[in-house]
This record gives sequence, C-alpha cells and structure tokens, in this order.
Amino acid sequence: MPDSKPDSKVDVLIIGSGHSGGMAAKVLCEQGISCLMLNAGPIVDVQKDTETRPAYSLPYRGFKEPGRLPHVFQSNEFNANTWVDEQEVPYTYAADQPYNWVRVRLFGGRSLFWSRQSFRLSDYEFKAKSHDGFGEDWPISLADLAPYYARVEEIFRVQGKTEGLPQYPDGNFVPDDGAWCGAMERLSAAGRKASIPVCRQRRSLGRDGLASSVNLLLPDAVRTGKLQAIPNVVVRQLTTDRNTGLVNEVHFVDRLSRREMSVKARVVVLAAGTLESTRLLLNSGLANSSGVLGHYLVDQVYGAGIVCSVPEARNGKSTDALMDGGALIPRFRNLGKPAKDFLRGYALNVYSSTHAMDPRNFATYGADLQQKLASYHGSGLSMGIMGEVLPRYENHVSINKDVVDAWGIPVLHIAASYTDNEKNLTRDAVDTSIELAESAGFEVLSKNYEPNPPGYSIHELGTCRMGNDAKTSVLNPWGQSHDIRNLVVVDGSSFVSGGWQNPTMTITALAMRAAEHLAEQMRQGAV
Amino acid sequence: MMAASLSSKVVLAQQQTGGQVAPATPPQTGLAPTPAPPAPGPVPWMSGLDNLKPPALGEITADMVAVTETRFFTGLQMATLRHLCDLLVPPWGKYPGALEAGAPEFLDFLIGASPLDRQQLFQGGLDRLDRESNEHFHKAFAALAPAEADTLIRPWLRTWMTDHPPTEPYARFINLAHADIRTATINSQAWAQAADAQSRGEALYWFPVDPDLRRKLTSAPGLAPNA
Repeated sequence: MPDSKPDSKVDVLIIGSGHSGGMAAKVLCEQGISCLMLNAGPIVDVQKDTETRPAYSLPYRGFKEPGRLPHVFQSNEFNANTWVDEQEVPYTYAADQPYNWVRVRLFGGRSLFWSRQSFRLSDYEFKAKSHDGFGEDWPISLADLAPYYARVEEIFRVQGKTEGLPQYPDGNFVPDDGAWCGAMERLSAAGRKASIPVCRQRRSLGRDGLASSVNLLLPDAVRTGKLQAIPNVVVRQLTTDRNTGLVNEVHFVDRLSRREMSVKARVVVLAAGTLESTRLLLNSGLANSSGVLGHYLVDQVYGAGIVCSVPEARNGKSTDALMDGGALIPRFRNLGKPAKDFLRGYALNVYSSTHAMDPRNFATYGADLQQKLASYHGSGLSMGIMGEVLPRYENHVSINKDVVDAWGIPVLHIAASYTDNEKNLTRDAVDTSIELAESAGFEVLSKNYEPNPPGYSIHELGTCRMGNDAKTSVLNPWGQSHDIRNLVVVDGSSFVSGGWQNPTMTITALAMRAAEHLAEQMRQGAV
Repeated sequence: MMAASLSSKVVLAQQQTGGQVAPATPPQTGLAPTPAPPAPGPVPWMSGLDNLKPPALGEITADMVAVTETRFFTGLQMATLRHLCDLLVPPWGKYPGALEAGAPEFLDFLIGASPLDRQQLFQGGLDRLDRESNEHFHKAFAALAPAEADTLIRPWLRTWMTDHPPTEPYARFINLAHADIRTATINSQAWAQAADAQSRGEALYWFPVDPDLRRKLTSAPGLAPNA
C-alpha cells in the first residue's frame, strides 16, 4: 500500500505566504497555473484573535512577560502572541555575536506588520562594486527592475514625491503634494546649507489601512480559483528525483498533530523569508554547488539616532502645521567624494509628533519631570539611522545539528556581526543628525551611538544570493537555483547587497519578475 | 548561546518518551464519525452547553480589592523601593502616584519572575541606595528627606533612547527602575480610573493565535459551505 493516497503533482508549490509568496501566487495563478501554498502558522482572524484591552488587565500589566522573546525588542505583552516563540523555534549564536531574529509565522508572515516605507534600490546599490570596488554587483540593474517596481507601487499605492535624485529613485507614486510641516521645512533648509537632501517620506497606503500579502496579493490569486493553501504545516525537507536532479517532493509536518506528510510538485517556490528558506535548503542539502549558500548575510543598522525638541512647539503651541510630519534623508555619503572611514552610507528617518514625549529624554524625576513633560508636549522630533551593512562571506548561517526545533528540525546557527565600517558610518550618522538638528534650531535631548544587534531591523537579506556565475552565487538573475532549475527562491535571500532601503518593494518586485519568468519557462516546457 | 532558555530537543524528547498519547485522528471504523463515549449517567456530559452564554458575573480585576503579597525583595529592600517609588513618581494632579498604583508590590512580583540579571540589578541597586544613605546620612534610605535622597539619585540620572539604557550598572539600575516604576504606575488600574479615555493604556491585545479551535465548522479548510 502506498503511504499516501494522492499520486498527483501540484504545478507549483509555494512555501511561505508573505509579500514574496503572495506575489508569486498572484502572478502564477493569474497566468492559469495552479498553486499550493504551505504556511507554518495559522490564518489570522483579527475579529476573533484580538481584543482592545487596558494594560492593567493583562497578567504583567503591559510589561513584557519576563524571559519571553528576549530577542524581539519589538514585542510587548499586547503583541507577544504574534511572534515566533523562541523556545519553539530556537536558533543559536556565539556569545559575542548576538543576533535578533524576528519572525512571524501567521498566514501573511511579516507582511502583516511592517512600517510601510517603500523605496526602490538605486544603481548605487545594484552596481555597488562598480562604484566602490567592494563585494559584487547584482546581475541586474535598476532599469531591469524598474517596470516591476512600477507595477508593485501601483498595487501598494505608494505615496511619494518626485525628487529627481539618483540615489533615491522616483517611482509610480500617489502624489504627495500636501504641505510639509514647519519642523521639516526647517530641517530641509538646514540640509540645503549642508548639501544634504531632506526629502519626503515614501510609504505604502495599501487598502483600508493595510498593505499586506493577505489583502493586496492573495485575494487576486484566490479569485482565479487556482490557489489552494494549507496552514499550520512546517516544511522539513525538499527532496529531488534521483534521475533528473530536479526537486520533486516537499516533506512537512503538521504543526499540531506532528503527523509527517509529503506532496509532489512540478516546481517549488521558496518564499519562507530569508533565513528560513536558506535553512530549508541547508537542511535538504540542496542548491549549494557554489558553497556560498548561507553566506553574505546582511541586514541594516538600526537603533542609533537622536531625539530633539522644537522650541517653538513647546508650552501648548504645538500644531499639526508645525509638528505633524516626517522626512527621509536618503544616502548622501560616498556618492562623489569618499567618506574618510567607511564605504557606502546610510539614510535618516525623521519624524515629528504633536504627542507626549518619552520621559527618558529628561534626566529628572517627580514633579520636575511632570512639568518638563507638560512643557515639552508636542515638540518631539526624532532622527534614526538606516545604515547599509557590507556583504561579507564570514557573516553567515549554518545548521546546528545539536539543536532542533519543536518538530525535530535542526536549527540555524547565525554568525553575524558589525565591523568598523558599520560602526564608523553609525557614528557619522549620529554626528550629522546632531549638526543638522542644531543648525535647524532644535534642542538635542538624547543621542545614541550604539546600534541595535544585527537582525533587529527585520531586514535580514542575502545567504542565497543571485548572480551570473554559478560558482559564486546560488541563484540566477531570475531567482532560479543554478543547480536545480525547478527551484525558485523569491524572498529576500536572493539579495547581493542590502542598501539602506526598506527591502519590501524590492523583494516584491523581484518576486513578480521571477514568477513571470517562471510562468514563461513553464509554458515553454523548460521547467 | 541559544536564543531560547529551554532546548526544544528537550521538549521533543519529552513528547516522544512521555508515554502513549491519543492519536490526533481517531481510526475510521465506518462512514460516520466515531461517537463520543457514553457518559457514566443518564445525560451526555456536554448536553445543554451549545447555547450557553457567559454568565454576567460582575468580573473585576484582583487589583481592585486585593493587595499583592511581596515575596521577592527583603523587607529592607521593599522599604527602599517604596520610598524610591514615592520620590520618583509622586501623585500628580488627579493621577495617583506609584504607591497608590501599587507599583512597588507589582515590581516585587515582576522582578521576582524575571531572569537573574534583572533580579540582581534591582537587588544590588536597592542595597546600594540604602548603603550610601547610611554612609552619608546615617539612616536608612526609607527615612531620607527628599532633598537628602536627591543627592543620591540625581547624579545617576541620564537621558537615553529606547533599548539603550546606560551601561554602567548603577546608572542602569537608577534609570531602568525609574522607567519601570513609571510604567507600573501608568499601566495600573488606579491610573486608568483617573485618566480620560485616550490615556487609559488601552491597545489591541492578541490572544494566542491557534487554528480552528475557535472557528465554525462551516469555514473549516477544505469544506464547501454546505458540505
């Protein structure tokens, strides 16, 4: 008797349901290709799964539950149940290389929770090696991806303003022509004096306040009738046909019952998120003839910056016109004259608010602190770094065979750290922020030169990079494995370098491009 | 180093060796689902529950009527903590101070449940406050006048950004204790009762998100609406 009843193959099996998996499903289904999507977690029903509660009614009065999710700085008692439990799916690292791996396994993945910042990479990123000699160029350029960016921006309804800066490529925007708040106008003027561009933010408006795979991408796939999905299954391994070398079967385990199952597929699309896709390939022993699978892990430097007060907004004079706004200072270092002690660069996120300031910005207490908080209410402005991390071979992940997750799957060991380049550009970012703020007449209250641990940005990228040379890259320029042509990786693991930009638009545009190429290959019978 | 305090291998090993468990899916004996075992009485166990609505019991939180029993800090440390709470977050306008909000007792619970490094930070910090008080003023910190206590607290106050408290241990204690006392106060029921609707510390809480248990059968995966 066979182990399982069906002997049928699905056309395309997609592992993961976030922005990249959602886009792959949308493109493939709309071209008439049947897809089966596997996801490691449940489908969210916000109406049933959430409730507005006061902090005092929670077991820990709104504090993080002690000892839970120590590597997810973004977690709190309200949202703790949305993140991957670190005891259920552990990972390891050396004591001197802490790493914050921030994961979501709900259907839709991390596309449910993101900041909506929506940027294109520029050719300063795609062709970084040509510019400064470090690392590798991507096998594609902005011109190759621009048509896909434009279509993704339309789906996500990216609001932005045309700036005409090569390092901050313009896109297919919902125009952002409204008035800028006074604080940003002043910062912009200070930027002009220092030859530093201060631009409008760019963000996805999405639909009904959400810009997720589950509301922007998956519904289109579902409408075709070509998408089926299985939640709560954890993929353990991919296996290949002994004769052809092609991947032909996916083995997974039911998250709750732990029943082991498998399904045959004509094509497998990996969209499990950068490190989970790589973990699966490493555990499967596939797609690594180059020896670079798992290597060149990057993310972005976050956590350093300053908090200021705009004096004119104090003492009850804060207004939306003065303080309700944001700005984006795109990379300005190393575009022409080289910076003295680092390659690449960083961007600065700027936000101002008419709301209360954090008491941590005042070194006082008691009644004096309350008076300060009342006086400074609505005058806060923050500037934070988004810094590029250089892709290095030694920043890598591997399988730790001594530790397994709750389903017996070996976990990742992550070896990543920042070097002098990241530290020096971080120091420059904080010093420059202070100079700009003081030039604009703002009072700097707090500053921090220490980056958060690698991984904190939730922008882990690389480890499965694309390239033209099968000896130095894992994927071809279309996200296909050099070794296995019916294996396509569409998440952020294909990145060659990470830039400073929130990668969502790039991941999603690459997924669209990869899926369209895959559909054409399937039509031609090449896959 | 592991990103978990408990190896999942241990968990798994327990699962595998923990004795026989019921299979997730009962064996199929026919076309109909396996019936529930008979109850040891005239009425099936679950009878009558299908239409039950939660009774209106007048549910309250324990903080409204009960005090938290302190079990972690020593008596001297609690006295120091209570005075520190009173100094750092006193009553303000219509809002309660840390003492009225039960912050010291709540922190005894929270820190007592916390990892060792946080426990030691607080224990060491409270001990040092009291030791310096005796050295400078020859009395316990709990007995210091505000101006006296200020000379021991203010030199260690820093401004700092999220996730980056001071690294020097004693400054770290003073500033983290201040932040924790404020949070325990502002997130208390006493504060919420004094606050207007916008300042009651309400937010979207996510229940443990588990599949299917709270779903209607008609929306079960793989079933057509009329199946």
